[in-house]
Amino acid sequence: MYRPLLAIPVFLFAASVAHGQGATAPDQTEQIKALVERVELLEKQVAELKADRVTALSSPVTAVPAPGNLAPEGQPLAKPAVQVHEHESQIPQETARQLETHYPSLQIRGFGDADFASTDQKGTNSGFYLGQLDLHIASALSSKISYFAEITLNAHPNEYTIEVERSIIRYDYDDFFKLSFGRFHTPIGYWNTAFHHGAWLETTVDRPFMVKVGGTFTPLHLVGALAEGHIPSGGLGLQYNVGIGNGRGELIGRPGDSGDNNNNRAWVVKVFSRPAKAYGLEVGGSVYRDKITLPTGPEYREWITSAYLTWTKGAPEFLAEFDNVNHRNILTNANANSDAFYAQFAYRLPWFEKSWKPYYRFEYTHMPLSEQVFTYQPQEESIVGIRYDISNFTCFKLEYRFLNSQPPRPGHPFEPAVNGVFFQTAFTF
Amino acid sequence: MNNTPKLVGTLLTAALLLWTPLHQLSLAQTSHGADVAVVVNADTPVNDLSLSEVRKVFLGERQYWNAKLPVVLLIRAPVARERDVVLRVIYQMSETQFKQYWVAKIFRAEITSPPKIVYSNDMQYELVSAMPGAIAFVDARNVHPGVKVVRVDGMLPGDKGYPLR
Repeated sequence: MYRPLLAIPVFLFAASVAHGQGATAPDQTEQIKALVERVELLEKQVAELKADRVTALSSPVTAVPAPGNLAPEGQPLAKPAVQVHEHESQIPQETARQLETHYPSLQIRGFGDADFASTDQKGTNSGFYLGQLDLHIASALSSKISYFAEITLNAHPNEYTIEVERSIIRYDYDDFFKLSFGRFHTPIGYWNTAFHHGAWLETTVDRPFMVKVGGTFTPLHLVGALAEGHIPSGGLGLQYNVGIGNGRGELIGRPGDSGDNNNNRAWVVKVFSRPAKAYGLEVGGSVYRDKITLPTGPEYREWITSAYLTWTKGAPEFLAEFDNVNHRNILTNANANSDAFYAQFAYRLPWFEKSWKPYYRFEYTHMPLSEQVFTYQPQEESIVGIRYDISNFTCFKLEYRFLNSQPPRPGHPFEPAVNGVFFQTAFTF
Repeated sequence: MNNTPKLVGTLLTAALLLWTPLHQLSLAQTSHGADVAVVVNADTPVNDLSLSEVRKVFLGERQYWNAKLPVVLLIRAPVARERDVVLRVIYQMSETQFKQYWVAKIFRAEITSPPKIVYSNDMQYELVSAMPGAIAFVDARNVHPGVKVVRVDGMLPGDKGYPLR
């Protein structure tokens, strides 16, 4: 009964030990400050020496050589000074060349997490598990062409699987038009394109149900083409995404990587605003349209409409997203509307170097009995937890979840509510 | 079994006792000094930006001055006063949040690289002068020739109400 509570002292102990590791940070800051001051002092001295040298070389007094060392006739005495200027003009160019982006400029970053879960759900065991090991590649191929990829290694009971989550080649014209091809995270709503598969980026341990990894409620991936950019709108800060792709595959959680399973292309349009006057606010909406062909034969028209509002300054942080998924059987015209939403509130505490962030999330998923495409999974869930940033790139999260399944469909057994405690350490490297 | 709550309580207390002394309240960083000027390469086609436009540029939202000229962001290394002002006024982020912001930005495939870090004012001037599209923040008391100072909200450093200080 009290087993999940043991995770709390473990979390606090780990946090204290981790903080101890960073106890020398103020010393390092002082050292860096001293070094920067020293660099600036040295630069000043170098500048003075250069000025002195130029003055000396161009000065009539020093330019006059000793009688025994007269230069041959016709050789300008001012030449050394000219050489100094040439040398000086090369310095910024060399510095600039060193800092210039060289193509291709490959950057690799990884995300990972290790977790512990303990729930009172019958038939499950508590224990440790590994989250996704996520490798992200970004490479500028020219000043206007870039390649991005995200590859995950996923732990399963008997094996690891490798998944190409994203593989995108992008051509930038300017801020108003960028065109990409490949495999994307479908720009529906907010979460799917804000956090991708990086657990470290997420405040919480896991994603909401509507965008769960391996889930089906919204199509997480799109294989096709995507145009994106700004919309001239002044302070409104409007931006757009317009995509076309294969849509859902035979397994509706997958995007048809090796080809579409029907002759209908899915499309998605997303418009969002980041108003200049409300830095941190993002409001958006999207529409997604597809035709689903199930392996068993039935075909459905799918409309997904989504809206979201986020405030991501950290104190407070607020994320809210709503999705409606409409499925219409093409043959029978039978309609089903499933809805899901979540609202997540977090607050980065002003103390302790702003490293603690408590949070709460409520999410709700409604599915009608007439839903024929999804597995029937109506539920509501409350999550309360705290995130502690040990360093710039590592964090601990401790979370309590209460999952309540809605009244079951006739013929399905009643599922009791589930309590669980989850611990995660997530990082980027 | 009956001892479990007591054990949990003891462990919690022990952990809290261990943890609390290790923390100190962080002091709010305030910087007082000269204004910080926004400077660009002399060929950059911009003379006047609003504060929110400067923010948009430094957040990597605006990545092109025009179709042919990409923005090149230059930011001073930590502990420089210019960086403190930029983080406080423009980004409104702590040093940690700033680093995390750029990791996330690249991960979202919005950009391929973070701003270039410069370690001294001289290096910064050299780069702004030499790199087309470069933009940086410098101490307004010491603006070198060869770069263009951009008005922010119609104001230059030293003007009353200038926002970057």
